[in-house]
Amino acid sequence: MLKWITTCSTALIWTAIATATPAAAADKVTLMLNWYVYGEHAPFYYGKAKGIYEAEGIDLDIQEGRGSAATVQAVAAKSVNFGYVDVPTMMRAAVKGAPVVATGVLLQTTAMSVMGFVDKNIKKPDDIKGKTVAITPADSMTQIWPLFLKKAGLKESDFKTVAGDGQTKLNAVINGQADLLLGYVMDQSMKIKDATGKDVYPIKFADYGIHLVSSGIITNTDYAKANPELVKRFMSATTKAVEAAEKDAKGAAQSILDANPKGGKIETLTQGFELTIPLYRTPETKSLRPFQVTDQNMKDSVELMVEYGGLEAKAKENPKAFYTNDYLPK
Amino acid sequence: MSETRGRGAAANLLNAAWLRPFILLIMIVVAWDLAIRIFHIPAYQIPAPGDVVKVLWTDWPELLSQTWPTTYATIAGFLLSALFGIPVAMLIAGSRTIESYVYPLLVFSQSIPKVAIAPLFVVWFGFGIVPKIIAAFLLGFFPVVVSAVQGFKSVDPDMVDLARAMKGSRFSVFCAVNLPHALPAIFSGLKVSVTLAVVGAVVGEFVGSNSGIGYVLQRSIGTFDLPTMFAALVILALLGVVLFWLVDRIERFAIPWHVSQRAEVFIAA
Repeated sequence: MLKWITTCSTALIWTAIATATPAAAADKVTLMLNWYVYGEHAPFYYGKAKGIYEAEGIDLDIQEGRGSAATVQAVAAKSVNFGYVDVPTMMRAAVKGAPVVATGVLLQTTAMSVMGFVDKNIKKPDDIKGKTVAITPADSMTQIWPLFLKKAGLKESDFKTVAGDGQTKLNAVINGQADLLLGYVMDQSMKIKDATGKDVYPIKFADYGIHLVSSGIITNTDYAKANPELVKRFMSATTKAVEAAEKDAKGAAQSILDANPKGGKIETLTQGFELTIPLYRTPETKSLRPFQVTDQNMKDSVELMVEYGGLEAKAKENPKAFYTNDYLPK
Repeated sequence: MSETRGRGAAANLLNAAWLRPFILLIMIVVAWDLAIRIFHIPAYQIPAPGDVVKVLWTDWPELLSQTWPTTYATIAGFLLSALFGIPVAMLIAGSRTIESYVYPLLVFSQSIPKVAIAPLFVVWFGFGIVPKIIAAFLLGFFPVVVSAVQGFKSVDPDMVDLARAMKGSRFSVFCAVNLPHALPAIFSGLKVSVTLAVVGAVVGEFVGSNSGIGYVLQRSIGTFDLPTMFAALVILALLGVVLFWLVDRIERFAIPWHVSQRAEVFIAA
């Protein structure tokens, strides 16, 4: 009898203590990336691994995406809380009425490039003449490609084009069906290096006068209005995560592999992330924390998108509608 | 007799086979439009039917020219499915040994998602129409084989024995008894296969192509151009309907004696 009473009361006391300990339940937040994981995404995994998100009371779930367009739609439909996407792609959807806004533009210079094996010796736009370029119809890079051609003095008739999805583009270059592909400096180049061991040389669009912002964090405008504190905490945590990752590239890349062992190889993930870091800032924002994009940079990006990117002209009337720095930490 | 003469042209029109699905389609489109208005569905999620019709109207030359490559790939893939599927089914139905070796592997291969291996076809066969034809063939192959095996196995053995007893050679018995008995099942498999072949051709185009309705679809998704995307889907659906109807016509010609081909006949005494 006594034994029974003691056991019961111990159990009750134990449960009371366990539940009474105020582990203020962390907010569950989902972040959907723009693509399958590659070096550029290291800061998010690093922040999660180092408890930076946890310290702000956020339980972060990172999901891989299937293209910026799909992620923008998921954020607009509130299927996920935040997205990490190509901001110009987000602008296309926003101008058609999608309730999305960029709460922080991370890559303030574009990561777009046309790349091929180093041993093909294609180092300048002129070298592209007579070659075969692999593109994915209507993805973010292919829409800016005509502007690059204009700035580089090339015509569509100077080279051949083959079209396919992301995997086909990679296969085409790896197998020699194409000499070049359009891709981000830190993504496809590293994937090709993983597969073949050979280096890839990217001709960067940014070097040819294309001043366009690239990836950034976006969220649903209604969600931001309903949860301003949460968005601020998320952006604060992400800013700290990026700053920490910048100082520890290899550790950041390793955190990708810890979360996703099939996410790539450590050398190329590190190299990919190191290639991303210079894109975080422009000369104007050199001394600022990440995400602090200038109004001028955004205005230029919107104008470029309207003139060459097929963005509707009414976007020019209010470039500020696409982004806000209000949720960023000082 | 007087009953049939009394029916005018209008009554005949109302009973036309194509009108009823058309009416249902109109009802669906009206419901779609109402749903968008009532639930305030934004344009970037689901386009209004009016916008889709506008795209079909204004862009029809380009859409038509893009439909041809998809149609060629679909028909070529479908014909290959029929050409290889029926003989394979004959072998499987005719021999227990072959069936025990081949059939399980065939089922196994059916579950492999073609969209995952389609990039490999582009690597092996380049960026032309061949990968699309192969994708269409692979998707359409299995239904043909399964129904044809069913058809060949359901032949009445007594009829076969009777024909053989009348000194029929294996080949002439096959042509006179086995094949006609299997045709209804084969045709039902062919009808399923042709609609799947359309899907296969589009999968092939998604993966590696500069032309075709799959290419139009991919391009419109990337630019958030939902009216064009839905217009492309409508065209693909129509393509499936037209091809299905063609196979149905051929079936009517090939097996007019089958119970499924009986039309309603009113006999007024």
